[in-house]
Amino acid sequence: MIAQLAINGLITGMIVALPAVALTLIFSILKFPNFAIGGMLTAGAYLAWAFNSLAGLPLLAAAIAAVFAFSAIMVASDKLVFRPLRDRGPITLLVASMGLSFILENVCRLFFGNLARNFDIPIERPYRIAGLRINPEQITTAIVTLLAMAAVYLLLRHSPLGRAMRAVADNPSLAAARGIDRDRTIMWTWILAASLTVIAGVLVGMDRAIDPMMGWSYIITIFAAAILGGLGSPVGAVLGALAVGLVQELSIVVIEPQYRQAVSFVAIALLLLFRPQGLLGQVRIAR
Amino acid sequence: MTPAASKSSAPNCAALNCAAPDLVVPLAVRDLRVGYGAGDILKGVSFDVPPGAIFTVVGPNGSGKSTLIKSIAGLVPAREGTIHLLGDDITRLPANQRVNSGLAYVPQEHNVFRNMTVGENLKLATEFLQADRVATTTQREKVLEMFPDVAERLQLQAGNLSGGQRQMLAFACALMANPELLLLDEPSAGLSPKFVEQIFAAVQTVRDSGVTIFMIEQNVAASLPFSDTALVLVAGEVRLVTTADSLLADHDLHQLYLGRAA
Repeated sequence: MIAQLAINGLITGMIVALPAVALTLIFSILKFPNFAIGGMLTAGAYLAWAFNSLAGLPLLAAAIAAVFAFSAIMVASDKLVFRPLRDRGPITLLVASMGLSFILENVCRLFFGNLARNFDIPIERPYRIAGLRINPEQITTAIVTLLAMAAVYLLLRHSPLGRAMRAVADNPSLAAARGIDRDRTIMWTWILAASLTVIAGVLVGMDRAIDPMMGWSYIITIFAAAILGGLGSPVGAVLGALAVGLVQELSIVVIEPQYRQAVSFVAIALLLLFRPQGLLGQVRIAR
Repeated sequence: MTPAASKSSAPNCAALNCAAPDLVVPLAVRDLRVGYGAGDILKGVSFDVPPGAIFTVVGPNGSGKSTLIKSIAGLVPAREGTIHLLGDDITRLPANQRVNSGLAYVPQEHNVFRNMTVGENLKLATEFLQADRVATTTQREKVLEMFPDVAERLQLQAGNLSGGQRQMLAFACALMANPELLLLDEPSAGLSPKFVEQIFAAVQTVRDSGVTIFMIEQNVAASLPFSDTALVLVAGEVRLVTTADSLLADHDLHQLYLGRAA
């Protein structure tokens, strides 16, 4: 049973890792906690569902179409909502992101209603391996998230765009003095964040169902993962997400399932008491 | 007034210590007004930086030195006036595009990307510039030869360098783009006396390689012996422009700072 719970926890953690990385990237480059991450997850999932169930595209093609469409929406949202408020401080931007979250969710509600929706994909039987029950969706989730994480890591570490993102996160004025266009870098950050949340939205939709509140049920876990990993550290966000997923699932062994979120917060509180900078916060030098 | 116009107006030119009329002025600032809130910090500043010079701006705390250099670098917008770089008006150009025009800026603090390696800092120095500004292998080798301390530490995270080494790395990064004009914001700030001398020696080496230097400094005693021209800025206004030697020998800085004309 423990092994089964550990697998379930790791898969949950992998799904959470994608928006947690998006959250941490936006935090490090735009310097505000983006509360719209929940609404982004919901809107991304609905867009993919619309391309899949309404337009009749296969799920993979629908997800790719949703990535493009939602990236355009988030770039426009940045221009309309965040750019005019960019120099007004993190609290103003946080409140603006909450407003954007409500808009994204309610637009989904307006167009697609309150009913839970499912992707148009065949239902498959779970595999039985060494007494463990593994759904095909879980295997898809593991492969997709690992590929997405590897792509993000390579992009951040070894591409000019990744270096520009790290430079703007570290020191925006110096980045400008080195010829880096901050607005362009911010635009690509939104595109990356939108892509990650669409992928996560599709994976959540495959695992359970798509409804207007799906983002809210993940938002606390996403924030917990990013904070646990050390806000601003993408690798930390992945580790934080896996830790939160594991702790939440394994806690079922000792307490009622409805309290599992509370257990993960106790673990986070304890860790942050001893490491206020989070798991990987120490690699950032601030002197 | 454009730099071309400034070249033709001889009386004004003499007052501003302009370059000879047949040379392109690396930096020409006219009637520059810059501020943050209701009031102006710079209240109509004008001067020309002669080609190949080390041009040093000195002044008391709060005189507007940092605002001036940030405004030239494009980090603080000008309210009025013009800034010409090599004859081109760059007043409204964003900071990231000014680098392509031949200007490099070394800030006083936070002048390297601390969470990146020395090698990554050097790579980033020209990675986003126009093709003709991207460092060639020869340029990179030339810069690394000038700063052996930097060349030995390419894999080290820049945040782990000492203050002096960071300043050297910041210089090296700025020079990678092969600029015509180098802006230095208090290069000696926070450094030990040994490093201060090294830094100014490096500034002179850079000038000798053909780069015009515009520098602001608090440390008058250390910087003026290495400078050609000095501008005294007090309360956002130009109090005096003269040769560095003349400022040291013939003028009383305290009097200038306190508001009496030299």
